[in-house]
Amino acid sequence: MTEFLINWLANAPGTAAPYAFAALGLIISERSGVLNLTAEGLMLVGAVAGLGASLTLGGHPLIALLVAMLAASLVSLLFAGLVVILRVNQVIAGLSIVFFCQGLTGLIGTLANWQNHPIIGLGKIAIWPLSEIPVVGRILFVQDPIVYLAIPIFFGVSFFLQKSMLGLKLRAVGENPAAADAAGLNVSLYRIGAIVAGSALVGLAGGYISVVSVKLWVTGMVGGRGWIAVALVVFARWAPWPALAGALLFGCIEGVVPRIAAAGISVPQYLMLMTPYVATIAVMMWVGARNRGYLGEPGALGQPHVREERR
Amino acid sequence: MHDVAMIARENPSTSPAPKPSPRRGIGRFTLDIRQTISPGKQAAILAVSLAIGLIISVAILDLAGIAPLDLVRELAGVFNADSLRSVLVRAAPLILVGLGAGLAFRIGFWNLGLEGQMVFGGIAATAVSIYGIGPESTRLIVMGVAASLGGMLWVMLAYWMKIRFRVNEIISTLLMNYIASYFLLHLLYGAWQDSKTAFPQSSQYQPFERLSDIGYGVNAALLVALAAAAVAGWGVHLSRAGFYMRFISANPNMARVVGVPVRAISMAVIAISGVAAGLAGFVNVTSQEGRLTQSFFDGYVFSGVLIAFLSRNDPIVVVIVGFLLAVLFVTGQTLQVFYQIPFTMVQLIEAIIVIAVASSEFFIRHRIRWTR
Repeated sequence: MTEFLINWLANAPGTAAPYAFAALGLIISERSGVLNLTAEGLMLVGAVAGLGASLTLGGHPLIALLVAMLAASLVSLLFAGLVVILRVNQVIAGLSIVFFCQGLTGLIGTLANWQNHPIIGLGKIAIWPLSEIPVVGRILFVQDPIVYLAIPIFFGVSFFLQKSMLGLKLRAVGENPAAADAAGLNVSLYRIGAIVAGSALVGLAGGYISVVSVKLWVTGMVGGRGWIAVALVVFARWAPWPALAGALLFGCIEGVVPRIAAAGISVPQYLMLMTPYVATIAVMMWVGARNRGYLGEPGALGQPHVREERR
Repeated sequence: MHDVAMIARENPSTSPAPKPSPRRGIGRFTLDIRQTISPGKQAAILAVSLAIGLIISVAILDLAGIAPLDLVRELAGVFNADSLRSVLVRAAPLILVGLGAGLAFRIGFWNLGLEGQMVFGGIAATAVSIYGIGPESTRLIVMGVAASLGGMLWVMLAYWMKIRFRVNEIISTLLMNYIASYFLLHLLYGAWQDSKTAFPQSSQYQPFERLSDIGYGVNAALLVALAAAAVAGWGVHLSRAGFYMRFISANPNMARVVGVPVRAISMAVIAISGVAAGLAGFVNVTSQEGRLTQSFFDGYVFSGVLIAFLSRNDPIVVVIVGFLLAVLFVTGQTLQVFYQIPFTMVQLIEAIIVIAVASSEFFIRHRIRWTR
């Protein structure tokens, strides 16, 4: 029993990392007022780019992850152009980009023959003295480098959003773009920057899935995690640390399903696979029940900003 | 004595553009909000953007190895009798999901759970078939009604979550798609698996449980779709409910204050949207596959969004756009068979077309000027 628990909790951060990074990236772009539904598509782009870079460039997996971040940022420029410059309805633009990425990554994966090619990927690193602690050591101190990197990244983004001048301006753009515009901030530039920066993290999440977790590429391998990340942002009230907590929760939930089956307990397989999605909806219902009023979203979320429009 | 009119006549105002400032500098783009735009200009902008989208798609196909001339040949080849028949069969579920999406979008409910509703429509219809409910002559009708109920209940679940718990329907309906597809797999690999094959599909429907051709290559499925489009078109354009819908989409708060039954109309429209998607599932499994399979619903969410978006949520235009999309799908299948282009190419082209048309809205609503 304890062995089961330790194994489960030790693998939870690895399963949680994609959710955490994707949610963090979405928080950055949504804090600027852009409703970002592109996570699913950009994670696919990151996954295929990361794996493709591993297969074609070789080299250290960290390079592949950097390529994944770059690829997702590039594709996010299309989304940024659509919603910031062309002021397209952000829901339609987000859905279109997801479908665009699904088609594009499926096409590239098949045409470049990257499907089902396993790679070595990134393995776990044990921080030696601490990993010998009986129970906690294996859970906390034997993880892959990206999970360790998550902590400083979260500290950095949290500091950036709450304590830095640039973060304050970004939040101002998200709460009231008209006032920020009047104060002299270039709303479009801040939004484009937020989208590109956030999408880099989303691409990292996708690259993590293919390069570190599964170590190969299959069409559509992200399997709805992007949408769960979108829900996580609502659950976390657009703040980084609750998003990390939520991601860990979902990592635990997603991790328990194969473990129970492997432990020999017979459960209906497909009903168990439903669990992450049912859990997400349950969490969203809980969020709605507890906040009778304001959900914590940025004031101008989802509204395109046109300076010349009088409301 | 000078009067105001004389002063106005002596000082006619010039164009609304601001006078150039005396200091030269690099200019910038400013946007004018268009107050009115002629339908002709609007159609022209839409046509140009659609053309740009199609040109980009053709370019990508060219990069993937299909010369434009071959593409034109394949497209023209669709219009022979055999392919036209399969186009019409494929158009029926597309029209139905387009209707479902368009109706819901009209009142601002982002019903993206079309695939899940199709799944439950198919499951309900198959349940009727497996348990033999109803006499043979009316079995098909019972299946259709059951499918409508299945789709409707699945979407009303999402609507209830929105009303009671303020769950964003975009996320809930999308996640419910995944839940529905896993439930389908649970049935197809379990209790409903066809004992004759090892595949995840149900047993074949009996002949009287299938929508068949009724002559001239037209399938009964298309009749269902056209009837639904006619009803929806009447509802949206001619009925009082349609007027209320326009009011609700323009200004829901004022509609509520003035006395429009907002909650009732919304609930009814969303339920009908679920019915349409459930019927799409029913039509799909009875006319195309003849049994319940594991991926009959693939790609219908975005197809529905595309059709609704391109037809501006108008049920009559949905029929035309649905037909055109069916042509695209059948051409895509031909390309897949003869040129080894994966079907994800069609997804890509769909997305490019939506992006192109969505971008045109900007130029319809704004006029760009270069000012110094």
